[in-house]
Amino acid sequence: MLRRVRGGHHPARRDSYAAFLLPGTLAFLAVVILPFAMNTGISFTDWRGVGTPDWTGLDNYRRLAGDAAFWESFRHSVAMVVAMAVLPTFLGLVLAAALFDYIGKHFGSRWAAVLRACFYLPQVLPIAVAGIVWSWILAPENGSLNELLKAVGLGSLQQDWLGDPDLALYGVMAVMVWVQIGFPLVVFMAGLQRVDPGLYEAAELDGAGWWRRFWHITLPQIRPEIYVVLVWCTIAALKVFGAVYVLTKGGPGGATNVPSYFSFQNFFEKTQVGYGSAVSTVLTALILALALIGLRLQTRAEDEDR
Amino acid sequence: MLKARKRGAGLLAAALAGALTLALSGCGGSDGTTAGDGKTLRLWHYEGPDSAMGQAWAEAVREFEKTHPGVKVEFEEKGFEQIQKTAPMILNSDDAPDLMEYNKGNATAGLLSRQGLLTDLSSEASARGWDKKLSDSVETTSRYDADGVMGSGKWYGVPNYAEYTMAYYNKDLFEKHEVDVPSTFGELTDALAAFKAKGITPLDNAGAEYIAHQYVYQLALSEADRSWVDAYELYQGRTDFHDEAWTHAAETFADWVEKGYIAKNSSGTKAEDAGVAFISGKYPILFSGSWWFGRFQSEIDTFDWGTFLWPGSDLTLGSGGNLWVVPKGAKNKELAYDFIDITMTKKIQNLLGNKGGVPVAADPSAITDPQSKTLIENFNTLSGNDGLAFYPDWPVPGFYDVLVSETQKLITGSATTDQYLDALQKAYDAGAPKQ
Repeated sequence: MLRRVRGGHHPARRDSYAAFLLPGTLAFLAVVILPFAMNTGISFTDWRGVGTPDWTGLDNYRRLAGDAAFWESFRHSVAMVVAMAVLPTFLGLVLAAALFDYIGKHFGSRWAAVLRACFYLPQVLPIAVAGIVWSWILAPENGSLNELLKAVGLGSLQQDWLGDPDLALYGVMAVMVWVQIGFPLVVFMAGLQRVDPGLYEAAELDGAGWWRRFWHITLPQIRPEIYVVLVWCTIAALKVFGAVYVLTKGGPGGATNVPSYFSFQNFFEKTQVGYGSAVSTVLTALILALALIGLRLQTRAEDEDR
Repeated sequence: MLKARKRGAGLLAAALAGALTLALSGCGGSDGTTAGDGKTLRLWHYEGPDSAMGQAWAEAVREFEKTHPGVKVEFEEKGFEQIQKTAPMILNSDDAPDLMEYNKGNATAGLLSRQGLLTDLSSEASARGWDKKLSDSVETTSRYDADGVMGSGKWYGVPNYAEYTMAYYNKDLFEKHEVDVPSTFGELTDALAAFKAKGITPLDNAGAEYIAHQYVYQLALSEADRSWVDAYELYQGRTDFHDEAWTHAAETFADWVEKGYIAKNSSGTKAEDAGVAFISGKYPILFSGSWWFGRFQSEIDTFDWGTFLWPGSDLTLGSGGNLWVVPKGAKNKELAYDFIDITMTKKIQNLLGNKGGVPVAADPSAITDPQSKTLIENFNTLSGNDGLAFYPDWPVPGFYDVLVSETQKLITGSATTDQYLDALQKAYDAGAPKQ
């Protein structure tokens, strides 16, 4: 009797799990898989957005391969990866360690929390608002930054930060570092919460300074968080659109064009919907590949820790 | 055992039912309105309520409701970009309004007409006399052929206002620095040099939006004629971007940047900032469109200002304004026609004119504001002389972005004039209909 009852529960539990997954799966299919499949299908057509698409096979992809503007937008994506993944991760590490192991210790955890919130604030601002404010700050005449330089006697350093093709990409990058830095900071500080404080105390007793504690304790302990942040921010960098749209619209002269803005331009403004779809399909495939690689690296790192 | 299986099956059924309910509610059934009930006019436009058009059309709504008792106007104000980018999808669905404002030109209204998304208004234009109220220049953007090229064919839109470009100038700055208002191109360059000699950048510019490349097009027009425009805009003949007109335009523009008549750091500036700069009295001249006129009237109060047509040119940028279009899927087309008719009446046209707009069918003697009178008289002169040359971004979809991008390179010195003209030729040829 006992054995029979136990056996009876097993199939029921399996059925129950499947049932609960159903709504999420349906939503995922409807909102993610179906649009992606449609987009991929459209990328094999010549279409203006209305009427009947003409099937053209790989024409859009062949055109893509030879399009200098597309490849330039990908080169700008590398700059965005630096601005949104590499720099924020590095700065986030230093700031998180400083807030946790120095500010928190010497000035109290409340101050650390306030500063963390200040750094995180750009993450919750709508990008359109932040973009407009930064375009005011960086304006060539009457912009806050140029006025400030003039006020402190450094007028010769004034630049057309967003209108000079040699500088515009760096201007956008600087804005994106500011926007993005709060995310790694918060993740890293959360990671630091689970580090055994005894490790820091023991190291301090042995005479280790802040930098040595950072290098030998902080960094190894939060390696999983570093992987997550790098993957997440790299993907965000490849997808960046809003800031470019608001600040520069890919200008001046294409100097800040990025793949998602390039796709948008072709899709909506040039009504070359098939071509725009091809760009976004390539971008999606690249992002998926990076996500899988990131997950693989993270899994391997975790296995090594075990 | 039986009980356990039953419970699992029940859970599965409940979850499935829940999912199906979600899916069904997501489909969104019909909103229940019957087609052609004649009780509601759904109207979309994108003019601000304070603009000349916004005020005139609000009055038209009141007039419409007075003459159509029991009929309600459902107005939704839309953003220009919102309509521009989503119109093809919306017009292809059941959500199409009965009447909407839409941008004119081959790449916009022409694209929709070619795809069969707009109602043919030809018989209404004739029966209600709209065709007689519009000059040939203004009428061009109302008609599109089977390929969606403007200028001939069926009527797919009706403009009830017009627009054109002119030089706005700060009279006080001209007087203060003893610069004469130019009436020839030579006098214009003298004026620019005179201001520059006083340390003032004479020409207000915005490289990130339309203002910069409209300077270039105007410079080209001053060396062009109607057949040149028709070749460029209507594909009636070959367009050579290295011809005399375009070469003069690119070289003069680059020269003006080099000489400081146009600020080198204006490449990233938006049109709004250029307008605000003129309103603040910073620049002596802004060459731009009549769409600024009403705002300058209401916002400039620290200096005297005026307008003049581009000196030495018979042609300038301009056309009928944005179009009233009736979607093919509109449910109450008769109501839409009636509304268009009201916007073409003297009452609404005169109101539009007195509020700083450019009416197409106003009674000039009814325009009481002196600045507005000049605005409309200049338009009537241009229109009567077939001087409206449309806009440079019209021939090819997406050409606006190309013009902005390439002209920015000209401003920053990233491209030579030859490279600039090569790039325009390439983009134009890629997008223009094959000859």
